[in-house]
Amino acid sequence: MINFEEELKKFHPSLEVEDAEDAIYNQDLTDMADLLVKMIKESEEKPNDNEVS
Amino acid sequence: MFCYNCGCHLSEHDFCTACGADVSLYKKILSVSNLYYNEGLEKANVRDLTGAVTSLRQSLKFNKNNIEARNLLGLVYFEMGEVVAALSEWVISKNLRPEKNIADDYIDRLQSNSTRLDSINQTIKKYNQALAYCMQDSKDLAVIQLKKVLSLNPRFIRAHQLLALLYMDSEEWERAERELHKCMDIDRNNTQTLRYLKEVEAMLVPDENVRQPAKRKKEEAVRYQSDNEIIIQPFNVKEPKRGGASTLVNIGIGLVIGLAVTYFLLVPAAESNAKNEAQAAVTEISNELNAKTARIQELEAQVEHSGQEIESLNQELEDIVGADGTLHTIDGLLTAAASYLETQDLEATAASLETIAQSVDLNETSEGFQSLYHMLLASIGPDLSKSYYDQGYEAYRTGDYGTAIDLLSKAVNYDETNADALLQLGQAYDKNGNAAEAAATYDKVIGLFPDTPNARRAQSLKNALAGQ
Repeated sequence: MINFEEELKKFHPSLEVEDAEDAIYNQDLTDMADLLVKMIKESEEKPNDNEVS
Repeated sequence: MFCYNCGCHLSEHDFCTACGADVSLYKKILSVSNLYYNEGLEKANVRDLTGAVTSLRQSLKFNKNNIEARNLLGLVYFEMGEVVAALSEWVISKNLRPEKNIADDYIDRLQSNSTRLDSINQTIKKYNQALAYCMQDSKDLAVIQLKKVLSLNPRFIRAHQLLALLYMDSEEWERAERELHKCMDIDRNNTQTLRYLKEVEAMLVPDENVRQPAKRKKEEAVRYQSDNEIIIQPFNVKEPKRGGASTLVNIGIGLVIGLAVTYFLLVPAAESNAKNEAQAAVTEISNELNAKTARIQELEAQVEHSGQEIESLNQELEDIVGADGTLHTIDGLLTAAASYLETQDLEATAASLETIAQSVDLNETSEGFQSLYHMLLASIGPDLSKSYYDQGYEAYRTGDYGTAIDLLSKAVNYDETNADALLQLGQAYDKNGNAAEAAATYDKVIGLFPDTPNARRAQSLKNALAGQ
């Protein structure tokens, strides 16, 4: 049985056109490729650190 | 596909031929992104928009630069009525690839029509307002607002779902079902829609026992839609049968009530109407009677007046016309003429002429009548004047001046050239003590007969009169 109040909580106000700019700027665009590149770079930096030490 | 390290174009090898970086894992990530994009595209093609959104988002999580996936996500959002979300994706896409990007075209189309953009913004505001009404428990207002939203943007799935939820809350299951089917037409695999629909269908067909009568009822009725209302018109509706006695009692009660209403309400009203109409008719007839009575009296007066006129005219006619229809005056004139020719009796003829002159206005008589009258008068005038003069002179001589004045006046009237009679009349006036008439008569003698002995005599008498 559906509970109206509970279901209502799932609805959120829609973004207005004026708020679109903020939404675009605040969007997190980090993807798996970024993470991979970051991880590779970190992994490349760590052996170098070991070598120095 | 480009190297993440140096940006060079990658080959089929697992390393970059330019910088030597290991790109095997990077290539796999991009492949997964493409895989999700393909999946999203397939779902979008079969209108599984929710599934398409999920896949395309996954695709972008693996590769944010997958422009096709981002553009398609924006398109799917737009189809679901989420215009701002679509716009956001297209703007990001355009920033990531400024040239040769279909997103640019989408944005231009949306922004070039300011009315359309305004309408979209109004839709969103109304939806938010409707949601606020729901939170404040003003569900009727929310329903009204959502209907407005959907009239402006019929593809707004969230609005359809919220409206369906409100209908479900008010147990308007059929309306809710209708809204959810509209959702299904746009997005066939929306989990929320499917969940609501399942609930609604369960409420419309609760169990097997109830299903059969419901189906039968459906068959016995005609359903059609008028605007947003479904009208169910049953074919044959029969009142449930009741006991015969109670039916008879009810009919009897109905008859009694009907009779009572007739007796207490309708009959007095009808009587009153009839009385009023009769009274009006009597008044009208009375008015007509009064008018006719007045007219009769007027006509009677006219008749009476006419009778009097007729009587008066008859009298006049009798005076003028004799018993044999001959005019009295003509008769009298002819008689006088005949008498004069036969007897030469001056006095009788003169008496007849005097009577005629008194009874008729000579100027109004015919030309022949006047001619005969004057001819007769000329024939007897001098002789008659002489006769009256002789009689008047005799009366003067005996001292009867009054009789002398009458006779001498007649003598002058019958013959104006009788200077002796005129002079004698002046003397009779003088003797009778009427000096003014005497002087006037002397003047006439002097004027009419100048240079005659009578004129000189009149002058001397006038002088003597003036000297007295």
